[in-house]
Amino acid sequence: MTATPPLGDAVGAADRLAAAVTAGIDAALDAAPAPPGDVDVGWVAALDATACPARFRGQGETGWGFPGWTPATAAGAVARSALDHHLHGPDPDCPPAPLEAVRDWMRTATSIGARGVAGWVAELRADGDGPALAATAAGAARWIAGFVRTLGWPLPERLALLNVARDDAPVARWSPRRGAPVRVRSGADARIGRIVGAGGHRLVVHRPVAGDDGQLRRRAAFEAAAGALVHRVAAAEVVVTTGDTGERVRVPVDEALLAAGGEMVVEVVRQRVRAVERGHDPADARPSPACRWCEVADGCGPGRDWLARAGRWRGGLPVLAPG
Amino acid sequence: MRSVPLRTARTLVDVLAAAPAGAAADADLPGLRAGLEAAARDAAAVGGWHPDDPLRLTKAVVADLLRCPRRALAPAEGGVTDDVVAGLVVDAAAKLATLVPHRPPTVEDACAYLRALGDTTVDDHLADRGEAAEPLRAELRARVERLVAAWPRIDPAWWPRVEDPVRVRLADGAVTVGGRIDVVLGGAPTERPAVLVEVKGGRWWDGMRADAHLYALVVALRDGRPPAAVVTVVADGTTQVEPVRPAVLATAADRVERALATAAALAAGEAPATRPGPHCDHCPARAGCPAAGVRAEALAG
Repeated sequence: MTATPPLGDAVGAADRLAAAVTAGIDAALDAAPAPPGDVDVGWVAALDATACPARFRGQGETGWGFPGWTPATAAGAVARSALDHHLHGPDPDCPPAPLEAVRDWMRTATSIGARGVAGWVAELRADGDGPALAATAAGAARWIAGFVRTLGWPLPERLALLNVARDDAPVARWSPRRGAPVRVRSGADARIGRIVGAGGHRLVVHRPVAGDDGQLRRRAAFEAAAGALVHRVAAAEVVVTTGDTGERVRVPVDEALLAAGGEMVVEVVRQRVRAVERGHDPADARPSPACRWCEVADGCGPGRDWLARAGRWRGGLPVLAPG
Repeated sequence: MRSVPLRTARTLVDVLAAAPAGAAADADLPGLRAGLEAAARDAAAVGGWHPDDPLRLTKAVVADLLRCPRRALAPAEGGVTDDVVAGLVVDAAAKLATLVPHRPPTVEDACAYLRALGDTTVDDHLADRGEAAEPLRAELRARVERLVAAWPRIDPAWWPRVEDPVRVRLADGAVTVGGRIDVVLGGAPTERPAVLVEVKGGRWWDGMRADAHLYALVVALRDGRPPAAVVTVVADGTTQVEPVRPAVLATAADRVERALATAAALAAGEAPATRPGPHCDHCPARAGCPAAGVRAEALAG
């Protein structure tokens, strides 16, 4: 992997992004008839709010918040921590056998009050919940295997895992100002290269299973923006790896990509404000294949129409005509 | 541990002991991909699939399209049967045996593993059956015991992965072929050859081989290196070991190409053909199907 030329002014680009996003958030909040409450902006919220505003608003507080740790939601967090633990262990040059790496890290998770996923794993261990630990280890091992397979071993030089459960690991969040109700979370899994004022570092986002191509570009845009806000320096590129297809896509970061990602952040806040005003409103629906799994589709005319018109199911095949 | 050549391997233990080199190392993967690409582009041009709403081919869809196109369009049956429950339990037991090798799994362990994943299908089914479920419980115990007997303790250096997702995008993403492999051992980036393991909760039948072949093809195309072997472990005690030779991959690719042609015709509005066979007995669309009726009459007469 060779680096693409960094943005001309990585710090300036991040500053301009922060100013634009702050202005957008302030404008949205100023227009709010009532405070929307705490707004946590991560990739999932950004995708939901831009893909179908009606669905996003219809989710309500339970859908907007973190659903809690489960084997499925913990897989990535456990995997990053386990791989980080291996890379800081006694034999970092040895490829990490995924299950062993996960087990080794889980043995270190003994403090129930620990931050993030480490505390949850410690609880499982204290409860002797072997099935949940096994299910979590399965997902985390898949994640590590896919990550290492797509990036190659040895991993790129100067790669550091992000969002890991280590006491000295920084919290990757940004707010427009102290006490603001909006927090933006960077979901990048790793970075390659140190973060310095000249820029040039790369962010790595690993997806165990791919979505569509459009989602890949949106993910890169969001993480480029979130990373620039959190680190105050824009990355040179976002590397998106995908476990099931083995693909590794490099998306160069430029002002347009940062602006697109920043707009996704602001859109989440706008939609949370509109949720206070109008809640779920089918008029804002953007029907798509996601309607098939939408929990508010029953009350959504455009979504029902799309499903009826599409006439496809089971992965693109038509419906068997009755009779 | 005894070591046997892969061609005479009969069990998963044999396969891992043989640490086989890939028998299909000289397979023409670029040629296979080119053929699939061409077939996918032709099909997408007719079927109208695109990257945002692609045709997703899985092993079940490919099998149905080739076996009976009408069945491929039938909605899945919603009910949970004893067979479905047995499949879930055996599958979960195999995964636990892989993940926690020092403790042979039981039916209860498998149910707890499924619960941890948010799947209460087995619990609900057994609870609904009440005391009448006891014969089923006994059968589940027997199947799990047979599975455990066939399952080796897997060295962590094989990088065991369960439910490993694999997918190949064709025609710029308008068509995808993929699925989740029950257990994957070795393969990139390890130095060991890939061994794919499929676990089946019911009884062996020859059609199971095609499922494993399809996964061998998809892994080969993704990794640029064919797996050494596919192993199907069945809860009736059968273990099917197949070295992956070039012909296996070519046959699997040919099946996908034929499935693509059928899918395109169906998407274009062609009436689905009906092809009666043993699959009619479990077909969710057998009611009102003329072919199933003819088969039933023939069997009765």
